[in-house]
Amino acid sequence: MPLLQPQSPIAPNLSRGASARAWALVVALSVGLVVLGLTVAGRLAAEPAAAAILCLGAVSALVWLAGAPALKAALAKEAEAAPPAAGLPAEALMEVAEGLPDPVLVISGHDQGDFAGRRILFANLAARDLFRVPSEAMLLTAVRNPEVLEVVDEALFAGIEGQTAYEAGGVQDRYWNVLAKPMAPGPEGHCRALLVLRDQTDARRNERMRADFLANASHELRTPLASLAGFIDTLRGHAKDDPKARDRFLEIMAAQAWRMARLIEDLMSLSRIELNEHIRPSDTVDLTLAVSDVVDAMGPQAQGAGVAFDISCAPKGSAAVTGDRDQIVQVIQNLIDNAIKYAGRGGRVSIELTGSLTTEDAVALRKPHAARLSLLTPDHADERYAAIRVGDSGPGIKREHLPRLTERFYRVEGQKSGERLGTGLGLAIVKHIMNRHHGGLAVESAAGEGATFVVYFPMTRSIPPELAVSLTGEHSEAGPQIALPTASS
Amino acid sequence: MEHTVKAYGEELNNLTADVVRLGGLAEAQVTDSVVAFARRDLALAQLVIERDEKLDSLEAEIERKAIRLIALRQPVAQDLRRTVAAMKFAMQLERCGDLAKNISKRCLVLAEAEPLTPLTRSIERMGNLVAGRLKDVLDAYTTSNLDRAVAVWARDDEVDEHYNSLFRELLTYMMADPRTINSCAHLLFIAKNLERIGDHATNLAEIVYFEITGEELISERPKGDALQRVL
Repeated sequence: MPLLQPQSPIAPNLSRGASARAWALVVALSVGLVVLGLTVAGRLAAEPAAAAILCLGAVSALVWLAGAPALKAALAKEAEAAPPAAGLPAEALMEVAEGLPDPVLVISGHDQGDFAGRRILFANLAARDLFRVPSEAMLLTAVRNPEVLEVVDEALFAGIEGQTAYEAGGVQDRYWNVLAKPMAPGPEGHCRALLVLRDQTDARRNERMRADFLANASHELRTPLASLAGFIDTLRGHAKDDPKARDRFLEIMAAQAWRMARLIEDLMSLSRIELNEHIRPSDTVDLTLAVSDVVDAMGPQAQGAGVAFDISCAPKGSAAVTGDRDQIVQVIQNLIDNAIKYAGRGGRVSIELTGSLTTEDAVALRKPHAARLSLLTPDHADERYAAIRVGDSGPGIKREHLPRLTERFYRVEGQKSGERLGTGLGLAIVKHIMNRHHGGLAVESAAGEGATFVVYFPMTRSIPPELAVSLTGEHSEAGPQIALPTASS
Repeated sequence: MEHTVKAYGEELNNLTADVVRLGGLAEAQVTDSVVAFARRDLALAQLVIERDEKLDSLEAEIERKAIRLIALRQPVAQDLRRTVAAMKFAMQLERCGDLAKNISKRCLVLAEAEPLTPLTRSIERMGNLVAGRLKDVLDAYTTSNLDRAVAVWARDDEVDEHYNSLFRELLTYMMADPRTINSCAHLLFIAKNLERIGDHATNLAEIVYFEITGEELISERPKGDALQRVL
């Protein structure tokens, strides 16, 4: 039983009795942070009392002045609202540390060889949120990255300040800069260090986006460009006086140019989504309305392709999710667009919206012989989900393609497919949007019976669960094990 | 007398802490080897190769400590499971480290040839998937979270499917253009190594399950379609 619980009854409880010390320490830390805030907030040197402490804060200020505008703003606010630091009661200082937007931890340790003895004395809200550990847990429960452990050790035992990059991992990748600073030893001679994390996700994403955009764009634009150049040569040469050939070539050239434009549009859209992927949207979107809007908008396209829709939607208000409306519309649009392409002339596309499902229900298999794969699974599956299923009556997708469907530019028919004009980015876009919404994506496919894509969004919590369940009674009765016929068939 | 008993608890905690540290190292090795491969970062690949020694010595130390603990304290029940699990865990993690080292070695060779961009991207994705599984199972171990361990165990399929798909594509590539056979063979092994790391993650999940419950996860893992019903 690893680190979280007080393992054997005989095991020493290092953290007991530490809370009083932790308190004193937190006060000390908070004073430091407020001072730092004052310095950053535009050097409010007007306060003569503060001037002395400002000197103390100068070193830390040097480190901080360079960046973290969010932190600066928050600290500035604190500083404005609060009287000079010396006069703040301990509780208020605690609140300051607690409310800082960046994760802040205080680590203690007494023996360099005793890794189990390194404890988290204090972790503010942001830190507890990031590491999902209670205060006073073992340090190793929260962090096991060797580089971070190394800078912590240096700060603890050698008194050296240091920093390193730290990648938290998980479905939503986040990058942090970890700063470890030595602190004065605690009452029992335990060494202590302050750990401050600063979010670097934006900067890292920007950097990667530029690199990826160049790599992807140059690779994928080469083919249509080469073909355009080829046709231009032909038009200048022997096709110059052949009006019939000229018209045909111009048509192909227009299609290629249109394809390039769409590719660039998709690439830009993907980059934009990726940049904000770690910022969860906050608006409320009614999926019922979103689905019906998209269906209305895509009606003409479906008609043109000779495809009919089968729609079954949860009633209005029963599938409200927290999300970005434009992006949700884009998800539905991309899925329906794909389904229309693969259903083919005379085919059918089924669209189904159900509210209040568990993850299991949301991705439950409908056809007994179908293969299914989860392409994105949310980190925490303890919520209720609203699921949209979009199925087509086409030939289905072979099993070996399923795991790679969301790969950029991965095309089921291979790279040479000219017949279906897709950019190969549609599902990648869907996946990234779903990740931003903390939702999931799964695909189900049976040879000859078509493919079905399921996206599920965590529902807005305002709907009481009892009410929500009754709305979808007919589905929960059937249970996830039984293959339900789709609403249309 | 109290002192000795206290020391026993400390020893157990220390053993677990060492395993978590080894886990952190193995995780970093796998992640870094994938990054080195995707970005053709030779310095990083070299670093991964050199760091492997650290994992080996830490694994040996854990084994020594565990044997010593068994010999001197004769742990029973939960304590015994913890000790045995620590040993088994360390062994699996060390293997993951070896595989990451092998990937890095192949990176050095691959860097001399022309890059095969789309394939590299696919393998990078598979690498991220595998690294994510390793992270999940280590999280499950440090927090004794049974559900997370079982989730890792049940999702073994994803990595396998990915591997199979890559395998096919690589074969097609080699048949189409024999000049790429040299590079593709290395890519094939890298994919295979990643798939093996995924298997180790599954084994680790089984060990976590055993440590917490004292029972074995049913030996027959759901495969293919059946799997998805468990999830």
